[in-house]
Amino acid sequence: MNKEPTKPSTLSSTDVVVKVDGVSKKFCKSLKNSMLYGATDIIKSSFGIKTKSDKLRKDEFWALDDISFELKKGEALGIIGPNGSGKTTMLKMLNGIFMPDKGKIEMKGKVGALIELGSGFHSMLTGRENIYINGAILGMSKKEIDKKFDSIVEFADIGDFLDAPVKHYSSGMFVRLGFAIAIHSEPDVLLIDEILAVGDMNFQAKCYTKMAELIKKGISIVLVTHNRYSIQEICNRCLYLKMGKQKDTGETYKVVNSYLSDVESAMLKEKNQKELSEKKDSLITKIEILDINNNVRNNFQTGEFIRIRFHYGIKEPIKQPGFAITFLHNDKRYHLSSSSDYIFHAHSYFDGCKIENIEGKGYIDLVFQHIYLPIGKYKYSIYFYIDNSFLREKHEDLGEIEISWSEGSSKRTLFDLPRKWELGDGK
Amino acid sequence: MNQPSYVVYTSGKSRKKGIEIWKDMCLELIRSRELISRLFIRDLIGRYKQSLFGHLWVVINPFVAIGTFILLNRAGILNIGHTDIPYPLFALIGLSVWQLFSGGVMIASHSILSAGGMISKINFPREALVFSAMGQVIFDFLVRFCLIVLFFIIFKFVPSWGILLFPFALIPLIFLTLGLGMLLSIVNTVIRDTANIVSIFITFLMFLTPVLYPVPLRFSRVFKFNPLSPLITAPRDLIAYGYIKEPTGFWIMSVVSVLIFLVCWQIFHLAETKLPERL
Repeated sequence: MNKEPTKPSTLSSTDVVVKVDGVSKKFCKSLKNSMLYGATDIIKSSFGIKTKSDKLRKDEFWALDDISFELKKGEALGIIGPNGSGKTTMLKMLNGIFMPDKGKIEMKGKVGALIELGSGFHSMLTGRENIYINGAILGMSKKEIDKKFDSIVEFADIGDFLDAPVKHYSSGMFVRLGFAIAIHSEPDVLLIDEILAVGDMNFQAKCYTKMAELIKKGISIVLVTHNRYSIQEICNRCLYLKMGKQKDTGETYKVVNSYLSDVESAMLKEKNQKELSEKKDSLITKIEILDINNNVRNNFQTGEFIRIRFHYGIKEPIKQPGFAITFLHNDKRYHLSSSSDYIFHAHSYFDGCKIENIEGKGYIDLVFQHIYLPIGKYKYSIYFYIDNSFLREKHEDLGEIEISWSEGSSKRTLFDLPRKWELGDGK
Repeated sequence: MNQPSYVVYTSGKSRKKGIEIWKDMCLELIRSRELISRLFIRDLIGRYKQSLFGHLWVVINPFVAIGTFILLNRAGILNIGHTDIPYPLFALIGLSVWQLFSGGVMIASHSILSAGGMISKINFPREALVFSAMGQVIFDFLVRFCLIVLFFIIFKFVPSWGILLFPFALIPLIFLTLGLGMLLSIVNTVIRDTANIVSIFITFLMFLTPVLYPVPLRFSRVFKFNPLSPLITAPRDLIAYGYIKEPTGFWIMSVVSVLIFLVCWQIFHLAETKLPERL
């Protein structure tokens, strides 16, 4: 293996334990070519001939492209991204299972990995026997395992199943046993793939508590997960991968948000395009969200001025038109009972703006002097009624606006309301 | 197994040369001795779980093969020729030694592929798989050796004092088996036909090697130039006569076997980093 215990050069002076520097990895889509390339690569490397690993051959693609990051002692890095973006490949490279085709990975200390559970378990043997086997695979000696055996069993908490063959285990029990063994191998760097999702809520909570404990002890963790709440809980930094590219790195909160807004905007884009193409004869031609200076914006602070402009183009005159808008909070926790329950609704006719006739091109404005909606992101939908209350057209989830905390507010509450405290005269 | 505290993974351009590689390889082997024994025990216990006869299968196999040959000989279909020791004993020793080689090569060439899930998910010295596979085969051999001892008693055969050297005469064969096993395990990962080809070839090869019968007169040249012949016959000669009948061939093949082992081990060591992505 071409891992080499060289003199600690760059890592010795700092407390950086993982350093990934411009790392790329390529894979082959076609099985036949994969065989061919595999054969040539293996023959070449067995004779110590350089392989041209930094160039793509036919049917090859970069599964990871130019990834760089650092991880310090006691830090936790979360890796997020859609399926197939290279998260597991990254972990496997950190573990030394795959060698990078470009770039360099430096690791300091003992590495423990939980890339898939139960690999190395023999299905016919009991949990007890498998603890010893898996422990040996993870680099523990028999003496070490003997010493930690009770603690492993206690953490796994699988009861009588300890002496049953692991082929009768549920996937949750596999996770329990696998995780228990891995954390007891006393790694300096722990790599965890999306596996805990199989465990029940109780066990997941236990694992995250344990991870937080390990971090405090100075162990570094790289965690791949789709659970954004746990990633925010555990990881102080985050890496967002998309199609093998490093989209964003930095503070967890920031990176998770950029991932989420990517996902949402992709969904919205799809929807909007569909609607535009479907409704060429739409009477509402455009919606503009404007600030106090008539600039188009979709990010407002709570309490700010908002003007919503409905542009229309109407050929035949229409009697008693009504314009309406609804806001739906993106966080499903704020939905009243179902996803169709909006948090705010305004209708021009019922608000007292009674227009008798409308024709031609023009616009109508809905003005909020102070918008005091709860903090968060909102999707808005537009409705156009004729003859008082007959729905002529609707544009659902047309766009998004974000309400954020104003400067100087506590940033802890959902609402900020204009208020005033008055001291009594003290009689 | 203490992992080195500082490692660098690159595309493999800064690889060590010569002695350094060997130092690495030996260190890795020493570090993974516990893993080898664990994997060996795992496969040993796991193999015959949920089976009725368990390790008896190891001896049932040669019994059937030898029985068939005795039957064919009695019926006059096949002429085995004269053996200096009772034929069943002759065949059993030959077959046991042969299966050390054939079984070893076959299990070892499967070892990497069948541990695919493990290899692509855990980083550990992959040599351990091949060595523990060899352990299986040696264990089977020991079981068969008990049968040989039983045959000594049944046929009232007193082995020559050379039986003390018998285990040492097997060492070159074990080296050869390990070497070929490592090489084929890699080839089999990339080209899956390998295991099938090997299994057919080995069956064919057995009949060109004096395993179940002594060297026949007609094709003696084929048998003579079969490099496996001296390695198979020498251990048997030691039991039967107390000396090796053709020592030159044996010594040459011993040196060749060790060389093959060393070369294949180095190839394995250098190639193993490329394996996981091809599984």
